[in-house]
Amino acid sequence: MATAMPTPATIDYAGGTLAREQVSLWRDGIRRLRRNKLALGAAIYLGFLALVCLVSIFWTPYKPNVIGTCETYQLPSAAHPLGCDDLGRDSLSRLMVGSQVSLSVGLATAIIVLGVGVVVGLIAGYFRGAADAIVSLGINIFYGVPPLLVAVALYVLLGSGLINIIIAISATVWMDMARLARGQALSIREREFIEAARAGGARWGKILFGHILPNALGPIIVQATFVIPVAILTAAFLSFLGFGVPPPKADWGGMANEGLPSLQGGFDPYILLFPALALSITLLAFNFFGDGLRDAFDPRQKR
Amino acid sequence: MLTRGTLIYIGQRLVLIVFTVVVVSFGVFAVVHSLPGNAFVSDRVHGQALQILLHEYGLDLPIPLQYWNWVKGIVLHGSLGVSLYIRGLPITPLVLRELSVSAMLGGSALIVTIGLGITFGVLAAVRQNSWVDYLLTSIAVVGYSVPSFVIASLGILIFGQWLNNLTQGALYYPEPWSGTYGSLAELSLPAIALGFYTSGQITRITRAAMLDVIQQDYIRTARAKGLQNRVVVIRHALRNALVPVTSILGPTVISIITGSVVIENIFGIPGLGKEFVESIFQHDYNVTVGVFTIYAILIGFANLAVDLVYTVIDPRIRY
Amino acid sequence: MANPVLQVQDLSTSFFTGDGEVKAVRNVNFNLFNGETLGLVGESGCGKSVTAMSILGLVQRPGKIVNGKIVFKGQDLVRMPAEELREIRGRDIAMIFQDPLSSLNPVLRVGFQIDEAMKAHDKVPADQIAQRGVDLLKEVRVPDAARRIKDYPHQFSGGMRQRAMIAMGLSNRPEILIADEPTTALDVTVQAQILELLRDLNQEMGTSIILITHNLGVVAGLCKRVIVMYAGEIVEEGPVDQIFESPQHPYTWSLLRSIPRIDADRRERLKSIEGLPPDLIALPPGCEFSPRCPFRIEKCFTQDPELETVGPAQRAACWVTMKRAYAEMGAADITDTRPGAASGIRPPKGIEARVADRRELNAPPLPTPASDE
Ligand SMILES: Nc1ncnc2c1ncn2[C@@H]1O[C@H](COP(=O)(O)OP(=O)(O)OP(=O)(O)O)[C@@H](O)[C@H]1O
Ligand code: SF4
Ligand SMILES: [Mg+2]
Repeated sequence: MATAMPTPATIDYAGGTLAREQVSLWRDGIRRLRRNKLALGAAIYLGFLALVCLVSIFWTPYKPNVIGTCETYQLPSAAHPLGCDDLGRDSLSRLMVGSQVSLSVGLATAIIVLGVGVVVGLIAGYFRGAADAIVSLGINIFYGVPPLLVAVALYVLLGSGLINIIIAISATVWMDMARLARGQALSIREREFIEAARAGGARWGKILFGHILPNALGPIIVQATFVIPVAILTAAFLSFLGFGVPPPKADWGGMANEGLPSLQGGFDPYILLFPALALSITLLAFNFFGDGLRDAFDPRQKR
Repeated sequence: MLTRGTLIYIGQRLVLIVFTVVVVSFGVFAVVHSLPGNAFVSDRVHGQALQILLHEYGLDLPIPLQYWNWVKGIVLHGSLGVSLYIRGLPITPLVLRELSVSAMLGGSALIVTIGLGITFGVLAAVRQNSWVDYLLTSIAVVGYSVPSFVIASLGILIFGQWLNNLTQGALYYPEPWSGTYGSLAELSLPAIALGFYTSGQITRITRAAMLDVIQQDYIRTARAKGLQNRVVVIRHALRNALVPVTSILGPTVISIITGSVVIENIFGIPGLGKEFVESIFQHDYNVTVGVFTIYAILIGFANLAVDLVYTVIDPRIRY
Repeated sequence: MANPVLQVQDLSTSFFTGDGEVKAVRNVNFNLFNGETLGLVGESGCGKSVTAMSILGLVQRPGKIVNGKIVFKGQDLVRMPAEELREIRGRDIAMIFQDPLSSLNPVLRVGFQIDEAMKAHDKVPADQIAQRGVDLLKEVRVPDAARRIKDYPHQFSGGMRQRAMIAMGLSNRPEILIADEPTTALDVTVQAQILELLRDLNQEMGTSIILITHNLGVVAGLCKRVIVMYAGEIVEEGPVDQIFESPQHPYTWSLLRSIPRIDADRRERLKSIEGLPPDLIALPPGCEFSPRCPFRIEKCFTQDPELETVGPAQRAACWVTMKRAYAEMGAADITDTRPGAASGIRPPKGIEARVADRRELNAPPLPTPASDE
């Protein structure tokens, strides 16, 4: 024991290393993400989509909501690359505008769920006891009903605005996040540095959001990216069933719905196909990106 | 298999199911009955006449009392009430008939989803990092990224129209649904469109679980015994991989129920999902509540069934 | 004794990983004679298990047998069609594994797993399989065998699981049993019982056994002949008594010194060998032990020694051998066993004994950030 082994520099480990390890974890993750070509491609597509969405606020080739811009059921042509719908509106313009609904629903839902789900979950996991019992019961009850139906009921209750749609969807997808945050809080609260913080007189708010949350951030962010496609999909389902943003505003699910009769009638599949394609590619991109993020930042969860 | 502990567990779960169903049905009841408008709007009844109608259906009572009457109806007569749209039509037989249609669709979709998901997952794992793996995992991601109504529409386009001659119109869906229960051909397209989405998730989980299991020591033992590769993969690896796969069967059932609402509306299949949407549009709220309640019961039992399947698949799990 | 049941010739097995070719087993030659118990020893990671798995054709991707022959009954197992090799696995050559806790399938009944081994081959008539399963469990002394055979593995203790594994291995009355550290995971009394069982087997049924272990005590108790492996190669082989009495390879010598002696008067810690085995992807030129060897000479860094006869039926791969080390370097009362200590030879640049990552060796306790005062 005498000569060969230098004693490890113990002071090194008294806190500084933990922070440093976290930093290198993030740097590692970003490097892994960059190497993932699918995720990279998805990110590029999503950037492009965001651009289209922004542009569509100010400019579209034709007025998206004006009936009779062109001939009804016009097939794709040079003037109207994606053709025209049953009311003679330019499909490309409507497709561009439709991205606004999908993206805002996806992002806003993710943000709401991030806020509500995380807070509720952390509180349940940290305080346990009654708080946990109530939250867990709530989670279980919401898991016990089909989310789409709940969203429909809330939509009917709240009315048809975009905000209401976002609220309705958020109410059906918060549980996974809450459960994740709860689990994280449950396990992290037992770690020594929480003990130390508590002994140091830190308030629970500081412990929850200053100590536990930062340590659980990786999985939480990954989960949040998966909320986006689920929210977009749910919104598309809603408007496909007729519970979307009020007309004439374009959104992809609603456009697909409008296109269904002409597809079933056999005379113009394109009205449905293009929004369906846009929706599918966007969801695919979010899923690939989320997968990449998970593999990069949360390799344990790689399932 | 049914030990005392298991029976107690089942009992507890039943209590939980009842509790959930009560909470859900009351919640939906309260929400739905406080909605603006009512089923009689379309009849253009006003004033006195409307009051009489509302009274006749007990809709003028306070909501908790209405709910109480509704629960009494279920417990005493097994009645979910009467339709307000087609006035006086008892809901229970209607909903049960629709449930049988939905169950047929959902059951087929479940078979599609599990069959496809497990087959793809096992193949992808066995051929890890080969083109088979890449192809199947890509199909899986496409599966849970492409909305089921897109798959359904493509199906209609391809089989209903382009290949119409080939399928002799068997896959074309003129509304209303012909109701030929035994017709596999008629059922297959909606079932596949419905099951494809969840099969992607199952593929993923099966693949990951298989890759994990194949590394285990007991697989090496099985090989060392001189078992055939097929036996090793199916009997030894898959049996163990099914444990994590089982854990997503509950969510899978919920996904299928959710999806069936959309699919039934596209194909005009007269199931619970179609009824649900119609009841909302028609303000036929007793039906809405009835459908919700049935779904809550269904999901409760599906989750219980999954928990029991666990004990069959993994002998280490005992309640 | 003279006819071998198994001949391993020039066996080399590698794993082709992202970092390079891991040469886990290199040019291994040995014979297993009829009815003998052969010991295979060496530090963790020296290739014992990979050798055994190569024999049964169980090396999985990214591993591959890159060279050599394994001759059993006149047939080369390496080049045999997969289906024929499968027939031999578990029927003629059986194997039991390191960790009984994880080597049984948790979701299948123990009895089923034993019977399955018999059903996979047609050696035991179908109508006798069930009965033989119970008999086997009795034979390996599982109490209440008829009832316990219906249990799942998690209902068995560690020792019982290993017995069940042995029962499974014996079910087809194999000619060769490869036991890969059959006792490592078990406590001492159970260890002794299992070894007893193996001895009886060998003596009563004449099964030839390859016993893999890093416990030299086990070898001394059970084997007549022993093979010592280091970094994927055989460095010494010979009769057990002789090797224990006068090891000729410095690695064997240090292994034997590392056995804790009951009669040691000083409370001396285990004299384990300093440093780690070499990286199997980038092996040192010359003798693989040279970075750690106390007796190394200049030649050791450039030329790889071959196995040579160093005594009756004893062979070692060393330029120096302990005979010379005793005579010329005073190995008898050496205390400093650091690399090059006895011979005083420093390694050329770039060849140093690998040491474990400091953090691995002395893992600090969980970090506790200083709490606010
Ligand atoms: N799947 C694999 N991929 C890469 N390298 C491997 C793999 N399996 C084994 N090896 C390498 O082969 C070498 C020999 O491994 P082996 O399992 O034969 O050691 P062992 O002598 O049985 O050790 P132990 O006493 O720990 O069981 C190890 O150094 C290991 O790094
Ligand atoms: S003396 Fe030389 S050849 Fe012998 S073991 Fe040591 S380094 Fe290898
Ligand atoms: Mg080993």
